[in-house]
Amino acid sequence: MSTGRYFPSPPDHVPAGRMHEFDIYRFSPGVNDPLEQWGSLLASDAPRIFYTHHNGGHWVFLDYEDVREAFRNDSLFSTYQTPIPPIEPYPVMQPQGVDPPEHKTFRSLLAPLFTPVAVEKMKAELHRRSGVLLDAFAGRGACEFGRDFASLLPTGMFLYLMGMPEDRLMEFVHLAEVFMRSNDDAERATNIQQIYTVIGEYLAWRATRLGDDLGSVLVKARDENGQPLDHQDVLNCGFLLFVAGLDTVTSTMTFIWRHLAHNHAARRALTAIIDDREKLSVAVDELLRMHAVPNIYRRVKKDMVYRGVTMKENDRVVLPVSVANRNESVFAHADTIDLQREINNHLTFGAGPHRCVGSHLAKTEVTVALQEWLRRIPDFEVPAGAEIVGHMGPTLGFNRLPLVWTPAA
Amino acid sequence: MKVEVMPEVCQGHGRCQERCPEVFGTDAIEGKCMILMPEVPPELEHKARLAVKNCPEGALVISSD
Ligand code: HEM
Ligand code: SF4
Repeated sequence: MSTGRYFPSPPDHVPAGRMHEFDIYRFSPGVNDPLEQWGSLLASDAPRIFYTHHNGGHWVFLDYEDVREAFRNDSLFSTYQTPIPPIEPYPVMQPQGVDPPEHKTFRSLLAPLFTPVAVEKMKAELHRRSGVLLDAFAGRGACEFGRDFASLLPTGMFLYLMGMPEDRLMEFVHLAEVFMRSNDDAERATNIQQIYTVIGEYLAWRATRLGDDLGSVLVKARDENGQPLDHQDVLNCGFLLFVAGLDTVTSTMTFIWRHLAHNHAARRALTAIIDDREKLSVAVDELLRMHAVPNIYRRVKKDMVYRGVTMKENDRVVLPVSVANRNESVFAHADTIDLQREINNHLTFGAGPHRCVGSHLAKTEVTVALQEWLRRIPDFEVPAGAEIVGHMGPTLGFNRLPLVWTPAA
Repeated sequence: MKVEVMPEVCQGHGRCQERCPEVFGTDAIEGKCMILMPEVPPELEHKARLAVKNCPEGALVISSD
């Protein structure tokens, strides 16, 4: 194992005025809503570019323009070896963990499979799956939203798209959760190994029975010279698909459903446009803006002065998109959910060369889930006295979200 | 109204196609923007304009009104 090659410098280059107390894995006392924890930074005295000593030390960008710049400018900010806290060896996820132009090989493999037109064809399956899940509990008048619905829909869909057998669904839900939620070094290392094992075993199995699923696409892929792609890279791409598209969707949905549980007017407004494709698309974008779960990491590529701030090669940067999405300079009445916000360049899915390949799938999963849910359960709430505990980390979310409603007669 | 895409800026996010599929498509190689209707008819102008404003990269331009 290499010794700290990509670890950040001790913060001699950070002036005291740039330091701010903030732990991306922890709540402040009395807070248990991760969006509130991050959102409070905008109103605080934290510099818009600040450094925290927690988790190995890293920068945090709060301005929309800086977050967008870091997403788009791969000559200053790299996606290669960025974990926080730093851990080595760390998987080089394909295409997320490689900078342009190398990232193009896997990016162009995946991109055509997830265009709006391609995702349109997945809709029927999403409706079917949402219906099956909902019919299991709609008549009960209660569920634990994360466990019973929000984790099963994207994970089941992932297995279906990959062509994987679905009998290990619960195991995968758990693996994806640990990946996004743990900052314990030993647990993270084991978890990474386990995901590789699952993906590796599956792709080897799939190689002997090719179909038209995503797993087969990965196995069959060839480079410009007709040669198979590097085996490790193929595993790295499978790994990324596993960790990118499961807990992110689950967490996003828990935030949106919590909002709806507390907000009668929003439920009515969505129900009124539930079959209006264009209006619903605009509304869902706004729900995605205000319930953005990812904190994306970058590594500074070379010593530089960025917007007057001295940064060193290998410094980590955290891009909290939930904060960027609430910049008043870009979004009028940024803290208000406006389901008719027609111009909405939120950064929920990032920007630039690595912007989420699965964004249309993710958005469609949320949209279809809303349609099927509201049709059966137009009104629902969080039971009185229930404590909803969130978690911080690279993907913000809630550990549990109990919901109750009056079942249709 | 005419629309154009700057191919070197486009990253193939398909927001344009999502917002206004009549005018914007995506290619089958990298999912990048293909203008299907460079000359936008009046009834689609509003939709096309919103698609231009919702491109995350600022890769679309209205070249004449
Ligand atoms: C609401 C759910 C989701 C959110 C918020 C989300 C967010 C993001 C963000 C912010 C990035 C950029 C990462 C970076 O710049 O380093 C990204 C990349 C990516 N996402 Fe998603 N994502 C979601 C769902 C999905 C789904 C369902 C898939 C499944 C296909 C997926 C696949 C990917 C891939 C493959 C990348 C890497 C793209 C590249 O590096 O070129 N995501 N996602
Ligand atoms: S939305 Fe912009 S970046 Fe995405 S395909 Fe259309 S023009 Fe290209």
